[in-house]
Amino acid sequence: MRKLARNKKGQFVILAVLLMAIMIISLGALMNRAVTYYKHEPWEEYLTLIGNIELSSSRLVELSLTNYTNAQTPDENILRNNLDQWQVNLTRIYPGRGVSLNFSDYPMTRDWNKTSSLSNATASFTIDIASIGLTGYKFTATAFLNLTILSQTDYELNVTVKVEDGKPLTNLGKDNFLVRNSSMGFTVMNVTGYYDQREALVYTIQCSQTITAPITVSVWDPRGIQVMAKYP
Amino acid sequence: MERMSRTKVNGNKGQMRIIEVILASFIIVFALSFANMFASAPTSSTYEGTELEKLGYNALHDLDDQGLLPRFIYNEEWENLTSALRVLLPLDVYFNATVYDLNGNVLNNAPMSYGDPAIFASFKNIASVTYGLVGYSTRFNSPYYEATYIPRVLTLQLVRGS
Repeated sequence: MRKLARNKKGQFVILAVLLMAIMIISLGALMNRAVTYYKHEPWEEYLTLIGNIELSSSRLVELSLTNYTNAQTPDENILRNNLDQWQVNLTRIYPGRGVSLNFSDYPMTRDWNKTSSLSNATASFTIDIASIGLTGYKFTATAFLNLTILSQTDYELNVTVKVEDGKPLTNLGKDNFLVRNSSMGFTVMNVTGYYDQREALVYTIQCSQTITAPITVSVWDPRGIQVMAKYP
Repeated sequence: MERMSRTKVNGNKGQMRIIEVILASFIIVFALSFANMFASAPTSSTYEGTELEKLGYNALHDLDDQGLLPRFIYNEEWENLTSALRVLLPLDVYFNATVYDLNGNVLNNAPMSYGDPAIFASFKNIASVTYGLVGYSTRFNSPYYEATYIPRVLTLQLVRGS
């Protein structure tokens, strides 16, 4: 017995087995984390549905403002009518999912013929999806365009164009602008943009004729939303 | 003679170590394969449908975000839509896209698909993405625009080819 106790050869095997046991437990924990990480979450499928409804609803607000700002006689109810139809049509696009869209819209704004003019439409939405028990998912969609005439020279105008959150709108060309006064329209020769520390982006509109004030400048963004500003 | 005997004993000790190492390796391999039985890889057939749906939706969302999807659908640029989806989706993912109006009428007169059409009939795990669009604004009398509310439904079926 004493001899067995003095035998040190077996200690290495015991140590090795202990180390193996620790490794197996560690690997088990690691694998468990891996399984949990890739665990299937049913609600993830509905994130795509919510994302689609959110983007499409925003597009609808933009679409309504485009119509409102381009019409000769603007329809004050166009946003509400479109939203009413969208509310009904959603159930046809996603049948059997229990999608319900509620909204509250605000009056559309055409605050034009000022040095700084704007067009704006806003609607708040709430989505319920009965099939997954989701209720009260809220979001707000806003379409906004602002045009500010900064200065005028004989042949040039300096303007800023901003969209939602005051972000400058880039990549505008001569097709996006229209310059006129009470008696005539001016041909826009060229539009160039330059960086300004205060405004971030300023467009210079070059016209072929001498610009006689007061002038009216219209701008259309790529969505088709129009704003008309007057200077001075 | 004594030196030779000592060398032999040391040699036996070395052999024991080798056996221990081999046994330890077996234990590690066994532990790894045992743990791997419970791990479910993300590409397994269990999650394939969901993964493909996410893939398809992300492709459509990207196109819509850039304003390309409404242009392709409302201007009936079916070839451009097919090409865009082929670029955005992985090469081993086959797709079949169809555009409907709200009454369920098919609007695309040309097929928009990639991959063997027979695979959609034979495959069990087909992912399907439904994407709704509200309308499109066009320049009707430059510089004026006209925007119309005409909802369209795009259905994208996806299958991972072998």
